[in-house]
Amino acid sequence: MNPIESLRIAWRSIKGHKLRSTLTTLGVIIGIAAVITFVTLGAGLQEGIIGDISPDDQKNVYVWAAPAENANQGPLSGAQPVMTQRDAAHIQNLSGVEDAYVFTGVSTQSIGFDGQQIARQGGVYATGPPYFDDDDIADGKRFAPGTNEAVINPAMAGLFQRNVTVGDTLSLGVFGGTEINVTVVGILENSESLSAFEGFNPSPRLYLSADSPLLRSQGADARYLAMIVEAPTRSDGDIDRTRRVTREYLTSADSDAGPRANASGLGFELKTSTELLGQLEDVLNLLQNFIVGIAAISLLVGAIGIANIMLVSVTERTREIGIMKAVGAQRRDILGLFIIEAVILGLLGAILGTLLGLGAGYAGAQFIGIPWVFPSTYAAIAVVVGILVGVLAGLYPAWNASRTDPIDALRYE
Amino acid sequence: MSGSSSADTAVSLDEVRKTYQVGEPVHALDGVSLEIPRGSYTAVMGPSGSGKSTLMNLIGCLDTPTEGSVVVNDQDVSEIGERKRTTIRGEEIGFVFQTFNLMPRLTARENVALPMVFRGVGRSERQERAAEVLQSVGLGERLGHLPNELSGGQRQRVAIARALVNDPAILLADEPTGNLDTETGAQIMGLFEELYDRENTILMVTHERDIAEHAERIIHLLDGEIERIEELSGVGK
Repeated sequence: MNPIESLRIAWRSIKGHKLRSTLTTLGVIIGIAAVITFVTLGAGLQEGIIGDISPDDQKNVYVWAAPAENANQGPLSGAQPVMTQRDAAHIQNLSGVEDAYVFTGVSTQSIGFDGQQIARQGGVYATGPPYFDDDDIADGKRFAPGTNEAVINPAMAGLFQRNVTVGDTLSLGVFGGTEINVTVVGILENSESLSAFEGFNPSPRLYLSADSPLLRSQGADARYLAMIVEAPTRSDGDIDRTRRVTREYLTSADSDAGPRANASGLGFELKTSTELLGQLEDVLNLLQNFIVGIAAISLLVGAIGIANIMLVSVTERTREIGIMKAVGAQRRDILGLFIIEAVILGLLGAILGTLLGLGAGYAGAQFIGIPWVFPSTYAAIAVVVGILVGVLAGLYPAWNASRTDPIDALRYE
Repeated sequence: MSGSSSADTAVSLDEVRKTYQVGEPVHALDGVSLEIPRGSYTAVMGPSGSGKSTLMNLIGCLDTPTEGSVVVNDQDVSEIGERKRTTIRGEEIGFVFQTFNLMPRLTARENVALPMVFRGVGRSERQERAAEVLQSVGLGERLGHLPNELSGGQRQRVAIARALVNDPAILLADEPTGNLDTETGAQIMGLFEELYDRENTILMVTHERDIAEHAERIIHLLDGEIERIEELSGVGK
């Protein structure tokens, strides 16, 4: 029998049961859509991050102190504030170190501008002026050390009814109800994150000087969560040297951070962006595998659904099978007919699932603000999986159908 | 019978026995020998359990005999495999059933073309041939109708057209008027007579004497054996 004829007849019977066919393919649709969505998001996230590592960033060593069990869990995981400005100043003078400055998140409750108050926790950071490259700043300049000057990104500037421009004053509501005015001196080129410490998404951010009066007011012996140490170049040798001398100093009794970390049982993490990205990729891959696993279960359920409905369909069409056999249909014709029907259901599920997944992935990428990557390999795999699911699910019912005795089948009511 | 020339024999049975093992062996057919000439019109009558259905199934290549031989259009079908039997069934046998047995989702034309699908005939040729045969049974205007859009008599005509489409050696009709009212039944019998006039070989199972009398002879079955063969003079040539 001509395969095109099989296809035509199989398609006819699928169309004859629209609702049933739709419900049957739903399992496959959901499974495939889930995989495609998360694979797209994962790929977009990775591409977004890789795109974020500038050559300058590759010279940076990110330093924080955390309990041993938090090691390899990503930037600042379990980090405790142990480092001081004095540590940064000391490390900066070590040979093999280009620059060193502290970094920390500042707890705020709200940000106000032009009479408008916006509740905002997070997105405010304190660091040293070298945190910005020259071409990071589109308008204005870096903050000066020891002042309440601030640099903001375009997302922060656009947060209020009136656009914030250089020279404007923002009021930060800090814990305890006090409000402190900061003057905007610079606006960044874009709203991407500037380092692994900020997370990876574009979002409103405001940067202060680590030794601004605002922070000093919180205690003379201010401790910072993290430090960024710059190597002279991004060669492995320079990075390793920077890392070695920084670690030597931080773990020594001379430093402020060392004894404090020791007392709390913390170890120092010194990671480059590339390493941090690698860690993040590991986490993403783990998450992706997990979701693919769940989707595989969904596909299995989908396959069982198709098999189930095919079995019902075979019973329901016993008489038709008898008719076809009476007029000359071979076993393999009947086998082919039902397998093709199952494959169409599987394939339909895969194609619809892929489209749905691409759509959801695109929407998700837009929403999070990461690039959308077309997962061509996975789309191809999805189609193959759909066919496979159909074949596997259709095999037994089709075999059952092909073995139907035409005499019984023609008598079947 | 095995010795006779087969040139003008459509179907011949020689000492055919069919035994079913249902606890005790049951002889559905018990040594039946029979010859159906080409172009003949035969009716088979007999009470329930006399072996009518078994006879139809054996001649229709749906089943194989326990003993003896069944020859359809010069091909011994009693000991060949299922695949070959299916091919012969598709090409040499045309079935007409009491309940029509049309494919519900196929149009009249597609139903008639179905046997050609399994023989690998091309689409345009199928379409053309199906339309032609439907025309010959008086349904030229109903090509695109689904079975549930047709009357009982029309459905049976579609089924007859389907049975004829491959030019079979024999037309097997199992109570072809059983689901039709008397008038429609008579029309179908009229069609059978036309087919008979066109040299088709017809074997019809029925339990109605007046339907059977349309044939040129009646085979009376009883308890799996041929009780008697009654030659009728009223019909045909």
